[in-house]
Amino acid sequence: MVSLLQEIDTEHEDIVHHAALDFYGLLLATCSSDGSVRIFHSRKNNKALAELKGHQGPVWQVAWAHPKFGNILASCSYDRKVIIWKSTTPRDWSKLYEYINHDSSVNSVDFAPAEYGLVLACASSDGSISVLTCNTEYGVWDAKKIPNAHTIGVNAISWCSAQAPDPAFDQRVTSRNPAVKRLVSGGCDNLVKIWREDNDRWIEEHRLEAHSDWVRDVAWAPSIGLPRMQIASASQDRHVIIWSSNADLSQWTSNVLHTFDDAVWSISWSTTGNVLAVTGGDNNVSLWKENSEGQWIRINYESGTAIQSKQSHQLHNPHQQQAQQPLNLPQSSDSEHSSNLSNSNLSNSQLSN
Amino acid sequence: MPPTETLRAGSGNGERGAGGAGGSEQTYIIRQSNKCYEHRDSQATAMSVDYSGQWVLLAGRGHLALQRLGQDDGTLRRHERQSKYDISVAEFAICPSRREYCAIATSQNIDIVRWGPAEPYYENSLRGHTRTVTDIDWHNKNPNLLVSCSIDTFSHIWDLRDPRKPALSLNAVCMSGATQVGFNRRSGNLLAAAHDGDLRIWDIRKGSCPTHYITAHLNRVHGINWSHKRETCLATASQDGTVKYFDVCNPRRAEKIITTLSPVWRARYTPIGNGLVSIVVPHLGRGENSLLLWSNSKQTDPICSFVGHTDVILDFAWRPNREDSTEIELVTWSRDRTLRVWKIDDTMLKLCEPSPDEDEEGDSSRYEPDLSELRALTPPEFMHTLQPRPMTAASLPIAATLEPGLGANTLPMARSPSFGGVYARREETHIARSLTDQPTCSLQHEFSLLNTNMPHVDVDMLCAIKRYACFKICAADHTIILQVTFPTAYPSPNVPPDFQLCQGTTLSSDVSGVLLKVLRTNALQRVKKSRSCLEQCLRALVAAMKKRVTSVAGAGADRSQMLLQSPRLEGALSSALHDACIPFPRTSGVHFNAIGMLTTFAQVMNTKRLTLRQHQSITPRTLSAINGSGLLGNVMSTTTAQRDPNASFYLQERMIACKRLQGKQRVMRQINGTTPVVHIYDASQLLHINRDMARDFTLDKRNIVETCRRNGEICRAHGRLDLVPIWLLAELIATPHVPHESSMSCQLLFYKDPFKKSLLESLIMHYAGAGDVQTAVLLACLFDKCPAAGLMGMDMDVASCRLPAQLHAQLSPYHTVLPLDFKSSAQARASSGTWQQLKQLRSNSWSDSLDWLDFKLGQTDAFACSLIRRTKMPLFDQFKRAYADVLFGWQLLTKRAVILKHTLHTPPPSQGVEFVTECAGCGKPKRTPKCEPCKRPVLICILCCLPVRGASNACLSCGHGGHMQHMIHWFEHHTVCATGCGCSCLQRTSELLALIS
Repeated sequence: MVSLLQEIDTEHEDIVHHAALDFYGLLLATCSSDGSVRIFHSRKNNKALAELKGHQGPVWQVAWAHPKFGNILASCSYDRKVIIWKSTTPRDWSKLYEYINHDSSVNSVDFAPAEYGLVLACASSDGSISVLTCNTEYGVWDAKKIPNAHTIGVNAISWCSAQAPDPAFDQRVTSRNPAVKRLVSGGCDNLVKIWREDNDRWIEEHRLEAHSDWVRDVAWAPSIGLPRMQIASASQDRHVIIWSSNADLSQWTSNVLHTFDDAVWSISWSTTGNVLAVTGGDNNVSLWKENSEGQWIRINYESGTAIQSKQSHQLHNPHQQQAQQPLNLPQSSDSEHSSNLSNSNLSNSQLSN
Repeated sequence: MPPTETLRAGSGNGERGAGGAGGSEQTYIIRQSNKCYEHRDSQATAMSVDYSGQWVLLAGRGHLALQRLGQDDGTLRRHERQSKYDISVAEFAICPSRREYCAIATSQNIDIVRWGPAEPYYENSLRGHTRTVTDIDWHNKNPNLLVSCSIDTFSHIWDLRDPRKPALSLNAVCMSGATQVGFNRRSGNLLAAAHDGDLRIWDIRKGSCPTHYITAHLNRVHGINWSHKRETCLATASQDGTVKYFDVCNPRRAEKIITTLSPVWRARYTPIGNGLVSIVVPHLGRGENSLLLWSNSKQTDPICSFVGHTDVILDFAWRPNREDSTEIELVTWSRDRTLRVWKIDDTMLKLCEPSPDEDEEGDSSRYEPDLSELRALTPPEFMHTLQPRPMTAASLPIAATLEPGLGANTLPMARSPSFGGVYARREETHIARSLTDQPTCSLQHEFSLLNTNMPHVDVDMLCAIKRYACFKICAADHTIILQVTFPTAYPSPNVPPDFQLCQGTTLSSDVSGVLLKVLRTNALQRVKKSRSCLEQCLRALVAAMKKRVTSVAGAGADRSQMLLQSPRLEGALSSALHDACIPFPRTSGVHFNAIGMLTTFAQVMNTKRLTLRQHQSITPRTLSAINGSGLLGNVMSTTTAQRDPNASFYLQERMIACKRLQGKQRVMRQINGTTPVVHIYDASQLLHINRDMARDFTLDKRNIVETCRRNGEICRAHGRLDLVPIWLLAELIATPHVPHESSMSCQLLFYKDPFKKSLLESLIMHYAGAGDVQTAVLLACLFDKCPAAGLMGMDMDVASCRLPAQLHAQLSPYHTVLPLDFKSSAQARASSGTWQQLKQLRSNSWSDSLDWLDFKLGQTDAFACSLIRRTKMPLFDQFKRAYADVLFGWQLLTKRAVILKHTLHTPPPSQGVEFVTECAGCGKPKRTPKCEPCKRPVLICILCCLPVRGASNACLSCGHGGHMQHMIHWFEHHTVCATGCGCSCLQRTSELLALIS
């Protein structure tokens, strides 16, 4: 039950590498090999509201900060720069800060949960990770670098969601100190690493080995508070692996989600941490969900590539369907089928509880 | 095919395409080829001309072919070869003794082939590289030596007398493989290897490390060519669209730069004359396939353009004319599968020579042989000595100063090595003359008056006798070594001093030119009035330098050049310009935002099928993989994707390939697919959260049964039929099963009903676990701190409902209200002050945080109880916070506030201005209107002298205040404090607030 809200022609002159909606879902930021970042209104297929030019190479990724800091966007590029943009109006953007301390392409940026303040993590092909902290009062940026985080290069970075402080009378055994910041990174050494901030230093807490090729994306699942943690990692080896841990993050177990047809490039968790979207070299977008037995099942059936938007959504592939859980029947027919309105390939299946 | 020669002015409609250098009037010769040989069936990727100039080798995957030149019958000798790999490079030996030998590189191996009268003999196979060999170069003096370079970053020098292993391995410790290599044509001891945008200069007598590093280009170097004349000079062609002339003694900056709009594939010096020929590869395969002849002394416009090829020119070579050394021929091989021969005659070479009006350059060529001879005699260490290279501003137009060639000025320097300084004197004759003159008083006077403490300026030398001065200016991260020479007539009108920028200056030539102009105009202004100008000029220079450098830095392309020339960054850049460890760019992506909206995009890269074929694997891993699979081998490097503004090149390239492989239908689909469209989906239904439902849901605690029913209806209305039974169940939980006339103990049991608690908990946990945080949170909130009245239903008697509730409140973990006297309570129940009485009976442990809640919720809260176990509270609070974040994203702020009210968290302390009063009894600061321990009100209204409970206001300066209404009345007519303390409250308070904000 996914409905297409808008199709936006970005009019980028080259390949788009990332697109992200802001917190409210009002503005869309896209970045491309043409070196620009464009801002769009997410509900109107108009021309770009703004085009942010400042990079001299392909821009790999963009990230929005929490709106409590204002309209802030970070972009990272092949030109070794990270630029943080700030806007007063959606059309009016200016550079807030430029970080040029990486020696190679910066491949990924991610803003920390808002509880930690305005903090940005950057992953670069020079093998290091930078954590930029903004003192919002004075507008001063402080950078901390994790050198040699991954040999050859770091491809992706993601923050652990912040845990609210547990009340003192909570009797659960909590070794998870809420003030501890954690990061997960994936790199060219086929490893996924978990980093913990310890007295102004970042130390490697775990290294997760299972991939047999470069890790292309990692995503720490947002937590709604359940005593477990999940990390998804996507790799060039065509696997997506879900790493699960208990509350104290001492042990991680891996579970291969699926072996895809091609390299997997991009993964994203839903805000409630129960749906994972995956896409890769074959350009297929697939959505995955864990059922009550702990199995991951695909919940959209599609044919062809995601870009064939004019295709009928009803092309359900029976082969794919048989792999699904039979108990997950589509919703009853009297409910509003928003997919009828959509011409998307993300088709209309919904899990009933 | 007679040569046609026309002289035409560029018509300015883009006809010049990629070769254009942006000049305004462009006049150059257009040449057609003299001969043309077509080889339709040839798939040759490499071409070479042998020593004699009679044979051209065309080498491809399937065959080797020799084409005889000079005879129009077009004799072609073809020899099949079996290999699955393309030939990356083939080179004939350039020494006469091995004229029938050639080296052919296939994959990691190099085959030495000797061309016998009938067929080729494979003499040797040189194995040593671990990755594809990218370039080969023969030594031009020692016939046994050749050098090869490879993606494995090594450059191997082979001696054919011992072909088993390389005679010398040059290990460039860097990430990027070597792409080009070349022996020095004059000394033979030096060789240059290109690693992406960097050059490493090696001396083969000392192979452990490079003698020089040159950060030549921002982008991959496609061609290296050493000068035939000057030992230390070489030209590089790069993807970034420039050809640069370097002197390896001065690795910091290029001597001259030819700028084109498209990547330059090759650039080679003409073997005779003073020219250079470049191949420009147009973007997207469109535009002219320019083959241009340039003069070494004029970089703005080409001398000649060779037209005829319809596709990208793969390589070219010089065909030596052994009989007549004044004429040379150019042999080109293009992807259009034609071999063309072009004659370069005397007239053209003459055009390459500097025109006589550029006297500086004329001098340069006149001294040329002299100079090179001198250099050949110097020991190898000469490269480490700094060679002064002044740029003259006073005598030349700016354009000429852009070419700081080794002109006449340097000659005295080179001849007098005893002169140890880094500064060049201008002309010996000039100095000699000035030696004889007496220094004028005014110059000495000016020097003595010069403020030597100017910021950014260091005075290195002031010599009034020799009439020159040296300054070192460091500003805006750049250094300028400035030499000023004063003519004897200075400072008489119109005799300005002469300014030169010397060796050590870190500015690019165009910036230097601008700065020199600034100096000259400033000097002229002053000397016009016969005044001294030195200090004025230096100050103007520093100002201009700061301004110029920053303005140029903003201009993109120039900036990179500036960066390169800043020595601090050189090291960082040289290791950074590699793509082998940068992941392959994503063509598709997904992203969830905080409220469950999904963004997706996908663009089919048409390269895919092709790559798949050649790599026998899935989508490439690294960015550098892009180029490896192109039809052109490494012509279109990686970086087309990156740094070219028109980066879709590789897409286009692959599309053509796809067409060949897959047929049209697929191509059409894929072309359609490449439009960068982003789709935005609302996936919140998948996450079981729904904004409309969130907006409609109520948390009315007065009648929980009714609330559950209504929420069930809302679920039905929004199509969440699966939730309807859950709300029915919740309704049942809320409905008391015990008849209300039963005893008190039964009631108590009801609230502690373990079944209901467990049921509720497992329901909440189930929904939280399944990701339906909305339902979980609503259930948790509804049964948390719920009033007893609600649980019992509307029909219950008010009195009987309250009493047990109050009793129960005692049992609740959160509300430690002292037990009330039932009777008195029952009597007082009608009075409005009941809750106040209750409040007063509370113990001190009733937290402040609940106080505010208490005020708002009023009566209902006093009866709060909970069906949620206390151990589960923190966990459920986290669910609530997660849901509150979603509500924040939906901008349902009041709903969010209601949810957050159900958490245990204390609201963050107010960040704004707060009025804190001090209790008169205990002297402790209080934020509440009453001091709890002393049980006395803390703020007394200064007007009515009664304690303030409601809205209050007070002066931030004197602290006097009271009831809001009273204050408003007072300050309508007065500006000073009512107590008579003399404080003008309104003014002071506004001042203080302004100060804080």
